[in-house]
Amino acid sequence: MVHSAEKSELFVSVIEAHKGILFKITNSYCKNAEDRKDLLQEIIIQLWKSFDRYDSHFKFSTWIYRIALNVSITYFRKANRRKQVYGAITDDILWMSEENTSNTLEIEINYLHHSISELKPLDKALMILYLEENSYKDIALIMGISETNVGTKINRIKAALKEKFSTIKTL
Amino acid sequence: MQDTDLIQLWKSYDKKLEENLAINRQNTFEITKLKLKSHLVSMKPLKMFTIILGILWVIFLDSLIVVLFHFASPFLLISAGLVSLLNKLAIGIYIYQMALISEVNIDAPVISTQDKLARLKSSTIWIARILFLQIPFWTIFYWNSQMFENGNALLWTLQILITISGTYLALWLFFNIKYENKDKSWFKLLFSGAGWNPVAESIKLLEEVEDFKDER
Repeated sequence: MVHSAEKSELFVSVIEAHKGILFKITNSYCKNAEDRKDLLQEIIIQLWKSFDRYDSHFKFSTWIYRIALNVSITYFRKANRRKQVYGAITDDILWMSEENTSNTLEIEINYLHHSISELKPLDKALMILYLEENSYKDIALIMGISETNVGTKINRIKAALKEKFSTIKTL
Repeated sequence: MQDTDLIQLWKSYDKKLEENLAINRQNTFEITKLKLKSHLVSMKPLKMFTIILGILWVIFLDSLIVVLFHFASPFLLISAGLVSLLNKLAIGIYIYQMALISEVNIDAPVISTQDKLARLKSSTIWIARILFLQIPFWTIFYWNSQMFENGNALLWTLQILITISGTYLALWLFFNIKYENKDKSWFKLLFSGAGWNPVAESIKLLEEVEDFKDER
């Protein structure tokens, strides 16, 4: 049995190794910085709560994607309740250095984010997984649908996303 | 815009993240030391308050039946008994649903988890259906022997009209408050309050889940 301190250390290392996934998901589901902080904290709490149930047949990333997406879609509105239960941790868990939106690339990234944020919750989940270059097999495992269905849905969402992106760009 | 452009753009965001994203190890470590409380303790105060209020109401009704059993009119006793029974059912379903929601595996695939949660949350409308069934009893609980002895035709016409309308309304709502009618204006009006927002959101999500399950 892993000692609790070792378990905590392992958990923190897993989170650190996958911090990019967590940031991108929370950023896609929450535009407001304060809400994002709450959502991220809720995801990490849920990850910790299910850490003992982690099935080593899956990659850590699959486990993290499932929980982070499920929490983002469902649990976010319970953020206030969570504050009462666990007590708020006031400092950020993840932070970015000052954003600079002066160059074209950054502006385009912002356009992409804006387009993604307008997608429906499940479409958004699928698009994030696609942009993260997960294989259809992995996406199917995370989402719980067939690989064929993943392909069909991605094509449909991609078309919608491109349209949103072009519309935002021309505004 | 090509697919590769989208992925390239996302990758450049990745690169930016790698350069700028830092993790507060201490805060993450702190989370592993937090004592996680049970679902019951973590329940929103408003939900807890609603349940307590419901239980108190049922206790009051049951006490009323016991205390007035030998004095009150059968209409009051039967109405109070059935209203109490319907409220007990509603409270039971509410607590059971919340317990089921808390037990849904959050680390299961996204579509199945969301399907289970959305179905459980949207089934809260069952509570509304059951509670609406008490309407007719509120139109008869005050009937008594004096009304039968001294009541005139006008009183009884009015009374029967109220009871029939109440019964019709209760049954109509019981059979029509369902997922299929979610787009009807009366349904939206009935479930428009802040308390019903999670239910409305769940119904919306359920549609999206159904669409995802569809292989076309």
